[in-house]
Amino acid sequence: MRLFENANFQFISNRRTAYIISAVLIILSLGSLMTRGLELGIDFQGGMEFVVESSSQLGAVAVRGALASALGQEPEVKSFGENQILVRTSVEGEISDVQQRILDGIASAFPGSNPTTVKTDIVGPRFAKDLMQGAIYSIFGSLLVIFVYILIRFEWRFGVGAITAIFHDVLITLGVFSILQGLLPFSLQIDQTIIAAFLTIVGYSLNDTVVVFDRIREYSNLFKTETYDSLVNRSINNTLSRTIVTSGTTLLVVAVLFIFGGEVLRGFAFALILGIGIGTYSSVFVASPVVVELRERAAAGRRF
Amino acid sequence: MQGNGLKIFLTVFFLALSAYYLYPSAQNYIIQRNLDELEGQELQQYREENIQKIRNVGERALSLGLDLQGGMHVTLEVRTDALIRELAVDTDDTFEEVMQVAQARADAQDISIIEAFISEFEQRDPEARLSRYFRNTDAGITRRSSNAEVAQYLQEQADNAIDRAISIIRDRVDRYGVTEPSIQKQGARRVVVELPGIDEPDRVRNLLKGTARLEFHLMTEPTDLQRSLQQIIEYFEQTDAVDDAPASDTTANDNAPAEGDEGESEPIATADGADTAGAEEMLDMADTSDTADAAFDPTSLIDQPDVEEPTNELLAVMQPLGEGVVFGIVSEQDTARVNRLIQREEVLQMLPNNVRLLYTASPVGQTESGLEMYYLLGVREEVEMTGEVITDARVDFDELNQAEVTMVMNSDGARTWARLTGANVNKNIAIVLDGYVYSYPTVINRIVGGRSSITGLDSRTEAQDIVTVLMSGALPAPVDIVEERTVGPSLGEASIRAGFISVTVGLLLVALFMIWFYRTAGLVADMALLFNIIFIFGILAAFNATLTLPGIAGIVLTIGMAVDANVLIFERIREEQATGKTLKAAIDAGYAKAFSAIFDANITTFFVGAILYSFGVGPIQGFAVTLMAGILSSLFTAIVVSRIVFDWMVNERRMSVSYG
Repeated sequence: MRLFENANFQFISNRRTAYIISAVLIILSLGSLMTRGLELGIDFQGGMEFVVESSSQLGAVAVRGALASALGQEPEVKSFGENQILVRTSVEGEISDVQQRILDGIASAFPGSNPTTVKTDIVGPRFAKDLMQGAIYSIFGSLLVIFVYILIRFEWRFGVGAITAIFHDVLITLGVFSILQGLLPFSLQIDQTIIAAFLTIVGYSLNDTVVVFDRIREYSNLFKTETYDSLVNRSINNTLSRTIVTSGTTLLVVAVLFIFGGEVLRGFAFALILGIGIGTYSSVFVASPVVVELRERAAAGRRF
Repeated sequence: MQGNGLKIFLTVFFLALSAYYLYPSAQNYIIQRNLDELEGQELQQYREENIQKIRNVGERALSLGLDLQGGMHVTLEVRTDALIRELAVDTDDTFEEVMQVAQARADAQDISIIEAFISEFEQRDPEARLSRYFRNTDAGITRRSSNAEVAQYLQEQADNAIDRAISIIRDRVDRYGVTEPSIQKQGARRVVVELPGIDEPDRVRNLLKGTARLEFHLMTEPTDLQRSLQQIIEYFEQTDAVDDAPASDTTANDNAPAEGDEGESEPIATADGADTAGAEEMLDMADTSDTADAAFDPTSLIDQPDVEEPTNELLAVMQPLGEGVVFGIVSEQDTARVNRLIQREEVLQMLPNNVRLLYTASPVGQTESGLEMYYLLGVREEVEMTGEVITDARVDFDELNQAEVTMVMNSDGARTWARLTGANVNKNIAIVLDGYVYSYPTVINRIVGGRSSITGLDSRTEAQDIVTVLMSGALPAPVDIVEERTVGPSLGEASIRAGFISVTVGLLLVALFMIWFYRTAGLVADMALLFNIIFIFGILAAFNATLTLPGIAGIVLTIGMAVDANVLIFERIREEQATGKTLKAAIDAGYAKAFSAIFDANITTFFVGAILYSFGVGPIQGFAVTLMAGILSSLFTAIVVSRIVFDWMVNERRMSVSYG
């Protein structure tokens, strides 16, 4: 099977179009992030989450109302799996006490439902702060390590290109999360697993980008007379087959994870699907053009 | 075959290593299957014959995370502020003020509360000495100790407290009986406890947190208490209802004051349920609460005000009693509300000197709507005797077959107990455990022999848990649960199934795709993928890592990304072929040139995995481990294993390999 065997798309010469598309996506994402914001999970906000199983599927809205008096404030309720609902509350108190109140509240509002708890996640406020700190360190640590590594293996312009692509990917993925919040049947809250997903996206996006960069580096050593533009373009085209295939297989397995992996991993898998898609796009349409821009400005004698 | 000797050796070596490390897991799986299928006699026999093997294999097999096998993960933190209070002597208002400020600062600025306390204290009065509040002859801290010495002493106590707490908790967990618990210190103030297979999280929470403060207190003079009760009721009569409830007020009582019936229309339905609170036949002590209930008459309650008049906040949530040592009766959902009311400054002033109000541990009856009611008792603050004198505690049953805990004291304790009971005949002595009064029997006779018992327990398990907690010792300071993750066993099984399906389906789809796209080469890549999976599990087993659900996700991800290395090589080989090279030369060139790209690309993902591992906790670490293991093994299989196969096919067998 051959795909894009002798591809010769004009990626670089048409890069303005890509810039416009990316700019639109980024503006939309930023807009959503600033207005709707992101929903933080209990990992970073603190609170209590209980997955309650009952003998039949209960409606989220009905349960929310029923628990409002038991807890003193309306909790968040989402459907979780088969005959399971997720109750999240920031009420303070003894864990066993709150759990009992929730179970009693459901049992009395829905007779015969026999609610039991199958999963609990509780994070105290100080612990949430610690987790948040850990997440931030992970993110910055990763970015730093990546930038330094690229600097060592490639020249600095590649580093800037890679980092730009990464920021682009994460920003847009977060934007989609923000826009779709509450609209999808599974949780899009930002918790530790989602942070892990984002870091994986970062690593993955880099994979793609590095493969293209490696080819650019090889060609610039081989074809010294060719213009930089056409050189980069050729690199992208020649690695296109590989880029598509790898993204394809990875998307395939992540889709499998999304479908079969169970409720707990659904948000994680969704983040990965988004991230891989956007990451592939950015390797082709963002990272390399940025490198070209920087080179051109240098060639034109400007200060970059 | 040039240079392939080493490659073959390495492959076989790693394969053997993986098999070696994975063997116990395979054994474990078979054993578990046997244990599930056998029953009764056979099961017993099988267990006995293989007891050593079962234990060994269990330890060396790949362990499943709690999210896959079900269980409880709890992070406990020692309350250093409570510890400071414990260590302090002669506290006064200044102490309280400094404590409050210190607590606020410690939270806001994320410094230790000891630091905050000391700096605030010194700020107020640079001349003042910390030894005013902290003295400990055993540790050499006297009135003359310098502030620096006291600071060090406090720090050492705090550090010790967590270590002592860990060993106490370990003891309690052992007594409870959990297979393969894990108890680890985390940082300076936290303990992480992992208990697989727990299905009673409530019980475990109490077991871990229970400070096991056993204290014996004398109780208030009934006349003093009655007088205070009147005063306090009048106080609430005159003051307006103040909404001092926090936003998360737990009670539904916001409508209660308006009706004003709460106190009146819920008479105790089963008043005689109360005698469980005091039965003490064993020890020459009389049953108190019968007398209290006999005197109780709903109609003697103070009239409730009409709806239009300003309401009495206290009476709305508490039935006053003022009989003997009982202050009032509170239903279970009002306890928090009542606490807030009686802890007001003005109310505390009106209580008799050095008397606190404590709840009974077990309910004394039920309201008509089935809510449980508890007595609020007047207890003297001074601790006459503590649980330190208890040398033995046991579960026993009285004539009514109700569970109780019998305690035996050492000689010091026995002496004190004799003195105490001798001096207080016909009065009540409260047995308080963790701030709740379990029983308050009336002393009939002086007791020599140092025995006492805790009655009024709900069940045998409650008695057992109290014994566990008494025998393992009192925690040096209260601990809070700052994080908890519990997964029920059924959910764990569902997750394992989901993970297994994902891996299988993912593997299948990718394998088929590779064959379709890269033909024969794809087949070789699939073989390498299989090796890959084996190696990943081998690495996990070798490092005794835990497999979690995100870990399985990491494996699935690796399946997708592992083909990448192969793809890079195959694409390169195709390109080289296109330039006219022979198959063999193309293969050589492909492997050589693709290497730098493969390396650079995968190493960055590896770094991300490493960072995730160091900053993440629990399941995230499981994901990071499988990610890193996956990258290492896919690098190896793509570069080494598939190369061996291709070389063999092309050189030895002179096959014409198609790369799609």
